[in-house]
Amino acid sequence: MNNPQYCQRAIQYREELSDDYFILWIWDEVLGSIGRPGQFYEIRALASLKNASNVQKIPKLFKPISIYDIQGGRIGFMIKKVGEGTTALSKLRSGDMLELIGPAGNGFPIYRGKRILLLSGGIGYPPMWYLQKELINHNQVYWMHGGARQGDVFPCDEIWTEDGSIGHKGKVCDGVAENIRKNEIDIVYSCGPIPMLMAANEIISQMGIEHYCSLESYMACGIGVCHGCAVPIGSKDKWDYLRVCKEGPVFNAEEVRWELF
Amino acid sequence: MGAILNEIWRRSPNAIDLLTTKLGKLELKTPLSVASGTFDLENLEFFDESCLGAFVCKTITRYPKHGNPPPRLYETEAGLINSIGLQNPGLDNFIAEKLPLYRERLRLPLIVSISGSSISEFEYILSRLETCPGISGYEINISCPNVENEGIAFGVCPDVVFDLLTKISPMTSRELCVKLSPNVTDIAQIAKAAESGGASSLAMINSVWGMAINYRNGKSHIKKGVAGYTGIGIKPIALALTYKAAQAVNIPILAMGGIYNWKDALEFIWAGASAIAIGTANFVNPLAAPELIMGLGEYLLENDLKITDLIGKVSF
Repeated sequence: MNNPQYCQRAIQYREELSDDYFILWIWDEVLGSIGRPGQFYEIRALASLKNASNVQKIPKLFKPISIYDIQGGRIGFMIKKVGEGTTALSKLRSGDMLELIGPAGNGFPIYRGKRILLLSGGIGYPPMWYLQKELINHNQVYWMHGGARQGDVFPCDEIWTEDGSIGHKGKVCDGVAENIRKNEIDIVYSCGPIPMLMAANEIISQMGIEHYCSLESYMACGIGVCHGCAVPIGSKDKWDYLRVCKEGPVFNAEEVRWELF
Repeated sequence: MGAILNEIWRRSPNAIDLLTTKLGKLELKTPLSVASGTFDLENLEFFDESCLGAFVCKTITRYPKHGNPPPRLYETEAGLINSIGLQNPGLDNFIAEKLPLYRERLRLPLIVSISGSSISEFEYILSRLETCPGISGYEINISCPNVENEGIAFGVCPDVVFDLLTKISPMTSRELCVKLSPNVTDIAQIAKAAESGGASSLAMINSVWGMAINYRNGKSHIKKGVAGYTGIGIKPIALALTYKAAQAVNIPILAMGGIYNWKDALEFIWAGASAIAIGTANFVNPLAAPELIMGLGEYLLENDLKITDLIGKVSF
């Protein structure tokens, strides 16, 4: 795998979604062709250190954002406004510049001829969109997505909201066991907050189903240098802290030492 | 962003000399280095290594280290909190796998950073590395705030620093640079102890004790609680300690702590640093290193100065 590269690109257009969610699209033949489902970029609204002393402000860290879609020479990043970094990104309009480092990490393993369940929660949705586009040609794909309320859910096969404002009421993991049985699922791919992935793993591992999850982690460098994003991976007796940005973000859920989080 | 030095060279035939500096036994092409653990070969995808005077790798210990449990990072209002805990593959794996990569890829001096839990462990690591070609010097890390009974346990006591350096300095003719902690009562005493023990340069500062707590629920942002604080917020601390150490010793200082650009670099050089390193800034600006050297080169050209004219010449 090639190492991540650094570049600056103009935003072609932004797409408004519900509440705090939006998509930034970049038109670029290179970026729009190399990223795989599950890979991500470290991105940031262009902030120059050259001018740092003029504005009395040092730029903040880049934020890891997974690839939402790649099509026709364009790449899209679906983002939720959460903290300072993503708020700065939320203010960008078409023509504004983005800084990018990537594509980083390893994507999801791609299977053929399987019955597949995609499981996402909140801002775990974006990588699944790109993944299902890849999987749908050669597999039976079901997609469950959950969020706190209506504004946190997006198109898929089965929607769950914690407040019951749309779809099933409850957490998305509440419906996983039934879905796996009903649809005779072979493989689960998941992405979402760590507590959700933990709950999902408990159910899925008990059923003996193969399960790949994409983990999120606080990052500084995004290229495998600082070891800040490491998570415990391996067997119960022999595990190591592996980097979400380099060896991840996708891990076999069976190898994630959930008890050590 | 390549061939930074060529650009400076093009503007003045003597410009290369302007940036040349000495770090103990090494003559560095530029005064810029990188702080251990914040920079690796992956960063050289972003720019040409010619802007760097030396390459300092992540600290190596005798045995592999898991490092600390996550979360390990938090970005504060002014700088970064980290709790990596010296995660590294250990000496054997370093020699077998990492070192050959460095030898193959780098065209600039490699300084290997090492840490140990006893004087004999430092001796053992050094004796093994002495048999390996392709190493220009060592950074003796006695100052990591994120591991107990290792590193910083040495760095806070002048007598222990002296003992350690007396033992290891006769073992090598390579550059021996001691990395100092800011978390001490009197940096001058520690610096003097390192110098009289046989260190040929000092690297300072390592990270400052730091902590960050979620105000809503009282939960520490870092699993281990107290961690290491780096970046913009520690610059005045690093500057003062660099100045104090420079007043106390004659060996050169490789200064770091909140250096983001060429203006910061100049401040440290005025304070007494012979060379400087970028750490946290590597995360914030992938091009911080070449931009710093371009700015520094331009400043020196415009003012008809050499780096060596400025070292320690702060006025009051």
